[in-house]
Amino acid sequence: MEERKKFYLTKKGLEKFKKEYEALRNLRVAKTKGEAPKIWESEDLNPEYLSFQEDLNFLETRITELENIFKNACLIKHPFKKELNVINLGATVKVEVGEEKDEFTIVGTLEAKPSLGRISNESPVGSALLGHKVGDEIIVSSPIKTIYKIKKIKYN
Amino acid sequence: MKDFVDFFHEIGKLKGKPRRGWVINNIKRPESIAEHTFRAAIMAWVLSKKKKNFNVEKVLKIALIHDLCEIYAGDTTPYDSILPRSKKKRAELMKTWPRFSNAEKKRIAQKKYKKEKKALEKLISKLPIELKKEIKNLWLDYEEGLTVEGRFFRQMDRLEDFLQSMEYWRKYKKPPQGPWWLWAREHFDDPILLEIIREMDNKFHKHKKPRI
Repeated sequence: MEERKKFYLTKKGLEKFKKEYEALRNLRVAKTKGEAPKIWESEDLNPEYLSFQEDLNFLETRITELENIFKNACLIKHPFKKELNVINLGATVKVEVGEEKDEFTIVGTLEAKPSLGRISNESPVGSALLGHKVGDEIIVSSPIKTIYKIKKIKYN
Repeated sequence: MKDFVDFFHEIGKLKGKPRRGWVINNIKRPESIAEHTFRAAIMAWVLSKKKKNFNVEKVLKIALIHDLCEIYAGDTTPYDSILPRSKKKRAELMKTWPRFSNAEKKRIAQKKYKKEKKALEKLISKLPIELKKEIKNLWLDYEEGLTVEGRFFRQMDRLEDFLQSMEYWRKYKKPPQGPWWLWAREHFDDPILLEIIREMDNKFHKHKKPRI
């Protein structure tokens, strides 16, 4: 597994990983004892974990991956009131890009999924938006110059 | 053995399936899904060498299976839900990067995920259980970014697309490069792949810069 200094995670993201970790550990215990796992009855559990049932190798890899994440996790904290107008990790930002409107939540690399509007703080646009306020215009160039006008910032 | 032969026959169909992103851009003789997979796998292997503590075998397997579901699910593009019938309007649309509300992004992604999962399950249904589980888990790793290898290949896959778009752009002056850059700068965050993108820019846009 690749080593990293820090994994920035939202509270929701960290809770999701913890829930998955507990479920997989329970599955490992059940599997070792040769029991039919009953944890699938839980509504909280992603049914996809079922596919780990027959594959101990994947199960172990994922457990190790999650342990590494917890070891290096850095929780994204809700900002102080005076910082709510500044884009930081965890902010959902409404922008205008040319004539188009878009909305991004700035997250760490583990939670980034641009197709769902979650962009990484390490991507060129994510990193350029950090530290800016409503009304600011961010220019991302190389090779094409694009202006992102910041319209709204909110934190959940 | 019959089930293996049936499986090999089915996946062979990817050799003849053109990638939809190029079809809607009216690219002559567009590459097939299998051709995309071939280069994406080589790129993943070569660039994996720059990663520490990285499971190259896993990333190669992810590369090989990541688009198998497209045999039945078909290839999708971000433009599909808003694609006009008129060729002229379609060409205009290709100059823009489609933007949706977060709710719409979620709806599109879920629809695609369900369709592809069902297709993959159909394709591997007759394989031995261990192999079936392995392929399904590798695909989930790619889709959900469960491990560092899955997350890396997810971006690697898009990097191959981006490189192909630059090659077509140099040859046919399409697809328009503006939307690709808008998308890329929001999508990629792997430092190695960002460095490769800068080199691709140097190579393909040295004499003529793309425009929005």
